[in-house]
Amino acid sequence: MADAQFDSALDLLRRLNPRDTKKNLQAITSIVPELTEDLLASVDQPLEIRRCPQSNRDYLLCDYNRDGDSYRSPWSNEFDPPLEDGTVPSERVRKLELAANESFDVYRELYYEGGCVTPGSQSSGEWDSIHVFEATDRARMSHYKLTSTVILHLANKTEALGDMDLSGNMTRQVEVDLPVESDASHVANVGRLVEDMELKMRNLLQEVYFGKAKDVVGELRSIGPLSDANRDREIQREMITSMQK
Amino acid sequence: MSSTVELASSFIEGAPPGELADVVADVQSLTSDGDDIIPSLLPAFKRYNETQLTTVKLPGSSQEVIVSAFNELEDNRYFDPESQTSFEVDHSTQTASAAQSYPLESTNADLIKSLLKSFGAHAREHYPNCSYGVYPIENDSAVAILLVANRYSPNNFWNGRFRAIYQLPVSSSSSTLTGNIHVDVHYYEDGNVALNTTKPIQVSIPSLSAESIVSRIAAAERDYQEALSRAFVQTSEGVFKGLRRQLPITRQKVEWEKVGGYRLGQDISGGKGR
Repeated sequence: MADAQFDSALDLLRRLNPRDTKKNLQAITSIVPELTEDLLASVDQPLEIRRCPQSNRDYLLCDYNRDGDSYRSPWSNEFDPPLEDGTVPSERVRKLELAANESFDVYRELYYEGGCVTPGSQSSGEWDSIHVFEATDRARMSHYKLTSTVILHLANKTEALGDMDLSGNMTRQVEVDLPVESDASHVANVGRLVEDMELKMRNLLQEVYFGKAKDVVGELRSIGPLSDANRDREIQREMITSMQK
Repeated sequence: MSSTVELASSFIEGAPPGELADVVADVQSLTSDGDDIIPSLLPAFKRYNETQLTTVKLPGSSQEVIVSAFNELEDNRYFDPESQTSFEVDHSTQTASAAQSYPLESTNADLIKSLLKSFGAHAREHYPNCSYGVYPIENDSAVAILLVANRYSPNNFWNGRFRAIYQLPVSSSSSTLTGNIHVDVHYYEDGNVALNTTKPIQVSIPSLSAESIVSRIAAAERDYQEALSRAFVQTSEGVFKGLRRQLPITRQKVEWEKVGGYRLGQDISGGKGR
């Protein structure tokens, strides 16, 4: 029963407006509290940003750096609010975390720099990428499983347009074996996988948000008269028939 | 905290085009531990149907007619001026029954009939799959003109709905048509993407002839569709491009070996921040 309810909850969240995922998630867990933990672990939500007081750098709040009500800054390794016995990674993983954060900080600068909205225009956008890795070490190789979700909210408002909201999320998965020489290889392997995946997802989002959605609007309403389109098809059919004679 | 019925009602009213039955099944599964919740959700079903301009098949006919707040006669009974029929609606199953003859009685009956003809011709020219209606409202001082066009393709994980809801006071010879156009598109293959639009419409109508009214509506709808098409291009070229580049400004991918992996060799305690 619980499994069926979990599937129904995910199906419902896939159907209801993606802009309201947080609110709907709360509503579902209020109806079926037993689903709370599993749903929080499986449903991606837009990430909140917090400033690390020690390093004065920003970091993201998610299930992966949470312990109770505190979040651990990946820059300082400290919990905020402070925790006496917060769960911290092992020394090896912490080294990897530091290296990966430094690398992805550069990545962020290179791809997301200038990601802002023209002042005065009433359009807005928000992009959240969430990449979750599982790496299984084998001799000289590592097996990586990457699950990537991008949450993209876009809004637009003008006199001629009225209100336009294009919101949603898309998830893709990839599994691959890559050679590993040292822990530094992990950062480079993961970096390249994320970079390739985000490029693919960026193109996919572009196709769905601006291609597919526009096509469906065209299916609902035709700018030109349908009788013209039908007449053109009829003429074309007659031409083909006459050529076959 | 909100009650289960309130929360489930918000799910029903939030169902995307063509997916009400799926949402209902999910709600039933999530509330399966208690009593059947569907009877308590009837007000939500009714609000959904009237807001979304749900269409129902008239009994013994293939014609789909609109359910809305503008053509409700009494509880759950609605009428369709074009077929001059009234019918009862089961809001939870979206079906019609108990059809009866219902001759249109209105001081604006002539205008309504010619509007149905002109607006129907316009609707067929631009909406491959649509239903429409023209109704007397506000004690015959105004008419409501409604159109809904649906395209469902669940096998390809998309559904869409176009709604136009207009009201036109008809007491004086010139008037202003007001209302809204809504376009809702849902795409849900390996994700959940929704387009929701609302465009307020305000058009002055110099003379209350059906042809004049419908030609103004047609122009407003065309202008809006063109604005929406432009907005897709502008958003793609503007905000979307600004959020994330396709490639770094150097036009080269990241050299991962060089951007921080070297720090792994350093002692953590000695590793300094930026």
